[in-house]
Amino acid sequence: MATNIPMNLKYTKDHEWALLEGNTVTVGITDFAQSALGDIVFLEVPEIGTHLSSGSTFGVVESIKSVSDLYSPVTGEVVEKNSELEGSPEKINQDAYGSWLIKVKIKDMSEVNNLLTAEQYQEFCNTSH
Amino acid sequence: MTHKTYLFDEHVKLGAKIVPFAGWDMPVQYTSVKDEVLAVRREVGVFDVSHMGEFFVEGPDAETFVDYLVTNDILNAPIGKAVYSPLCREDGTVIDDLIVYKLEKNRILICVNASNIEKDFNWIKSKHQHFNCSLINASTSYSLLALQGPKSFKVLQSLLNELSDIDYYSVIESSYLGSSVIVARTGYTGEDGFEIFANHLTIKSIWEKLMELGVTPCGLAARDVLRLEVCYPLYGHELNDEVNPYDAGLGWTVKTMKPRFVGKEALTSKTSKFKLVKLSTEKGIPREGYPVLNSRNEEIGTITSGTMSVVLNKGIAFARIKLDQYPSDEVFQIDIRQKLYSAQIIKKPFVTGGHK
Repeated sequence: MATNIPMNLKYTKDHEWALLEGNTVTVGITDFAQSALGDIVFLEVPEIGTHLSSGSTFGVVESIKSVSDLYSPVTGEVVEKNSELEGSPEKINQDAYGSWLIKVKIKDMSEVNNLLTAEQYQEFCNTSH
Repeated sequence: MTHKTYLFDEHVKLGAKIVPFAGWDMPVQYTSVKDEVLAVRREVGVFDVSHMGEFFVEGPDAETFVDYLVTNDILNAPIGKAVYSPLCREDGTVIDDLIVYKLEKNRILICVNASNIEKDFNWIKSKHQHFNCSLINASTSYSLLALQGPKSFKVLQSLLNELSDIDYYSVIESSYLGSSVIVARTGYTGEDGFEIFANHLTIKSIWEKLMELGVTPCGLAARDVLRLEVCYPLYGHELNDEVNPYDAGLGWTVKTMKPRFVGKEALTSKTSKFKLVKLSTEKGIPREGYPVLNSRNEEIGTITSGTMSVVLNKGIAFARIKLDQYPSDEVFQIDIRQKLYSAQIIKKPFVTGGHK
């Protein structure tokens, strides 16, 4: 499957993308994920102030026929959520990288280094189905 | 090993997502579930449902045998009529739900669910000994298309010139490019539509013609949303080996006045343990397996099928409620990931299909 994987982002094997700016990580789901899910109809993300640990579930995204957990790429505190997206989750299908879900303030910046690079994520998408 | 329908390569060419279903590799969606559902509700769509099973019962006792097998009335249905019915055991539990097509007095087609072909055929064979008719499992020789939507008659008429405007739930035999086809005005979407049974090559020609005409190919995901919107049960969800027709709201298909049929004694005493209800939600999407609770937060049942309705843009579901715990106030809540969401009970189908 040809997918859009921007070079400036980091990725997880659960198909989330992460963008580090200062000590804040912006999190969304990848183009591969939105395409696999199909029409997204529901999104649930945590309240501001929620503490997340790397790899834990932080929310849910639902298409017409399926429910998928969202996994946090990093450990930290939710400082912002994209409330607009909860009312129109179909925007994720239209623009996966423009539709961020949450912003997480992190303490340990090195965690980001453990995430996949664009090349590694591309490789992962090619080999897993 | 999974089976593939004769049209498998066509689905792949069209970019369908393929998933295993009932032992078959089936197209679950081509473009978008939403677009496919709306194509069927507003225009016309086509489903490859060749995984389903076809049995032929032929001979002098064909009618009486099939009438004895199923709970609905076959004997009094006219030739050319299709009849939906559960197939039950002596204790009233449901082996499958199926459609009986009365092609001729001595020739009946039964269409069954893919996952139950072997179970059904073995059961029917075991009941067959005292009847003067043959029983053939023709499932591997037939492909099946479901052409569904308000424009389906017009489209099909352009392929089958002699096709008359037959009634809903009727069946006729016709031919396409010299091969015989069985055309029934039936379906699983609530819309006007046809199901077309024929040999694999003929079905492939019909599929190609339908694609040329711009009919939308639709997958199993859209099919499931469509059937749930109009409240048709699905075997393995609302129906299974443990429940009887009453438990699934199918009392209307049990004709206890028939002189004899398998399960008559058990089903005449009308003992149901469950009530199947239709629930809709403004917030949260109900899914199969989610617990259903009463106003006192006590668990009283389970969601058997649930989805986001494309037409209504809200959550819709069937729920199986324990009859002895059925709440008189009819207040229902659904536990969605440890959070309670209120659900409204709906008495009519969520969506009214446009079939004749």
